[in-house]
Amino acid sequence: MTVHNLYIFDRNGSCLHYGEWNRKKEAGISKDEEFKLMYGMLFSIRSFCSKMSPLDMKDGFLSFQTSKYKLHYYETPTGIKIIMNTDLGVPNARDILHQIYSTLYVEYIVKNPLCVLGEQLSSDLFSTRLDLYIRALPFFSPRAA
Amino acid sequence: MSVYIMADEALFQFLHNEVIQYIYKSSEHGEMENGRCITKLENMGFRVGQGLIERFTKDTARFKDELDVMKFICKDFWTSVFKKQIDNLRTNHQGIYVLQDNKFRLLTQLSAGKQYLEHAPKYLAFTCGLVRGGLSNLGVKSIVTAEVSVMPACKFQVMIQKM
Repeated sequence: MTVHNLYIFDRNGSCLHYGEWNRKKEAGISKDEEFKLMYGMLFSIRSFCSKMSPLDMKDGFLSFQTSKYKLHYYETPTGIKIIMNTDLGVPNARDILHQIYSTLYVEYIVKNPLCVLGEQLSSDLFSTRLDLYIRALPFFSPRAA
Repeated sequence: MSVYIMADEALFQFLHNEVIQYIYKSSEHGEMENGRCITKLENMGFRVGQGLIERFTKDTARFKDELDVMKFICKDFWTSVFKKQIDNLRTNHQGIYVLQDNKFRLLTQLSAGKQYLEHAPKYLAFTCGLVRGGLSNLGVKSIVTAEVSVMPACKFQVMIQKM
């Protein structure tokens, strides 16, 4: 059971943070293009879900899974989007993503006057804490890359 | 002795950060202005400190001596403003006191080490003024400076001026 990687986007689509713990295969495109692809896909899939939903939608798009990995999605009312790829053993990471937002992003980025919102996050404190948090998750186990 | 608790920590932090940004933005002339900005922030803190100490000591008995005043600042005053006490108070018994806070509230969100160290003095200026203002209204004239080497720990040095 493991976490592969994590993306954080703001409401304009700029990638604020990307963290990687256990990624065995690269996408084959540059990081910028990968971020754009991820954001574009999420945008499309969310609007698809809301259009084609046969009932009134509550939360909208939550996650998708393949035979190898699962992508979890969490969006805050302010437009911050957190995406986490894990393996299939993780049932629901929504609470974890919410925790990442409230205890890490809000604490160390929003409250840091030297971090300009909307740009790549440069706070070492945030990166270290995020790394520690992910490694402390019950379903994270370091495996040889 | 009743102690007043600040309404909301986050509110004060955000406002404090904005004040610092504002003061620095409205003086665009580069490095030389850094001293002026720090002074402005310190003077703001001074007035606030004067007012706060009046509220906090409304019902307190008179202080026995200087050391008692410093202990009040370290315990009750710091707790009311920052929700924690000063971790270490040292003195040479000749008018110099060093107040050490190992997890200063206004620096914890910035970094946990050396990142952003050069910006740290800006975030300490207001608090220096706060201490100086509080002491001044308790009848103690002083000069307060702050230094930080590893965030979020910092030291405030109080030099008592004999009148």
